[in-house]
Amino acid sequence: MINTLARIDFAASAGRTPWHRASALSKLILAAAVVGLAVFSPSLRLLVALHVLAWILALTSRMPARVVVLAAGYPLFFATLFVVMSWDGGWSSPLRMMLRPLTASLAAVWLVGTTPYPDLFAPLSRVLPRAVGDGLFLTYRALFDLIERTERLWRALRIRGGASAPVRKRLTLAGEGLATLVLYGFDRSQRLYATMLLRGHSGRICGCRHYAEMTRSDLLVALAGVVVAAAAVALWRTP
Amino acid sequence: MSHLHVPDGVLPVALWAPGLALALILLVLSARSLRRATAQHMAYRGALGALVLAAMAVQIPFGPLEYHLTLVGPVGVLLGPAAGYQVVFVASAMLAFVGHGGFTVIGLNGLVLGAGVALARPVYEWLARSRRPPAAMAAATAAGQAVSGALWLTIVVIALGARAGVEHPGGPPGRLGLLLGLAAPMWLIGVVVETVVAFGIARFLGRVRPDLLPRAGAGERDAAGGAA
Repeated sequence: MINTLARIDFAASAGRTPWHRASALSKLILAAAVVGLAVFSPSLRLLVALHVLAWILALTSRMPARVVVLAAGYPLFFATLFVVMSWDGGWSSPLRMMLRPLTASLAAVWLVGTTPYPDLFAPLSRVLPRAVGDGLFLTYRALFDLIERTERLWRALRIRGGASAPVRKRLTLAGEGLATLVLYGFDRSQRLYATMLLRGHSGRICGCRHYAEMTRSDLLVALAGVVVAAAAVALWRTP
Repeated sequence: MSHLHVPDGVLPVALWAPGLALALILLVLSARSLRRATAQHMAYRGALGALVLAAMAVQIPFGPLEYHLTLVGPVGVLLGPAAGYQVVFVASAMLAFVGHGGFTVIGLNGLVLGAGVALARPVYEWLARSRRPPAAMAAATAAGQAVSGALWLTIVVIALGARAGVEHPGGPPGRLGLLLGLAAPMWLIGVVVETVVAFGIARFLGRVRPDLLPRAGAGERDAAGGAA
């Protein structure tokens, strides 16, 4: 899961498609519209249309297909579980139940795969409480550093026989290993705090100020929005 | 089982909308209660939030299955209910951006994990008066994980019941027995794994940096970041 996140993060920063050049705000609005319609749509045809559009969005973002499939496929397990639990013998309800999360997930992957995280979190941090908005930035910033350390730690545990011990011992060792990461996180927070003070931290992490700057590429997002709206109007009342 | 994040479009609106509203209210309240927190404490929260996400990448093999850690208990003990809740909410929000749990259910996913986080610190403080930190941390984690898992199961059962009621009024209910048969063992495994891992975390911290562990009856102000 985290490897997928790392690849998506790379794609968001290194991508050069028109989606990448469009503003974060317009993409957020489009993604919210797709997710909202997918969740509330009573029409199977509209769901199918949104699903196709979500695939087009995700694939034209030039993210590796494997990453798109991995990220978008996560809800499959849960949705399948739900379908199995409440299957009525028909195909309409299960199809709806599968398409809704998959469409929403694809829209989310398109959004994060084309938008660097400072641009993505900046508008969200405006509406969330300050501490939570800052938490988004600080958590994301610490994430990849800690992932690397976690992977090294696990490799070291395996090489030194940590994986062959009895389960209880193995889990306790894993806990002790994670405690070293807690310590590292604490030390890191002290260094980060010092850096923030040196850079003149004013009590708020502002993030990128360019999230609402429109470019010509936003016309493409607007076009996609028009397609979504037209599909909603035309298909909402269909079965 | 508690961090099997629920995706969009599966739960009824009547369930996720109040959950989202409640989660946001709690978020505002937690932010108010932490308004005097230092930037360093915020950075520490960020680091532990990242650790929660990184720990989810760790796969602990159990025969044909693999378990992913959540660290709900240790985060709750180290940060306290308010800060810990913010951390798991942020983690849920970030996971939603990569399709691991939906946007509409960020609230419910946050509440499920948040319930475990909120319970862990009081249980730890109560037990730490008479027990050593590793035992207190392990028990607090077990309690938090059990509550998180139970809440998750309750939400899924309610959702299945609601769906069965809408689609087959008076007809056959969802296969709740099958769900319980699948989920209950996973839930138990989750409680055991998280408990033993939490024991290891507290044992190590107790030896190396005992000041990071809260003292018995110290309250939220003694969260690890504030100890510095």
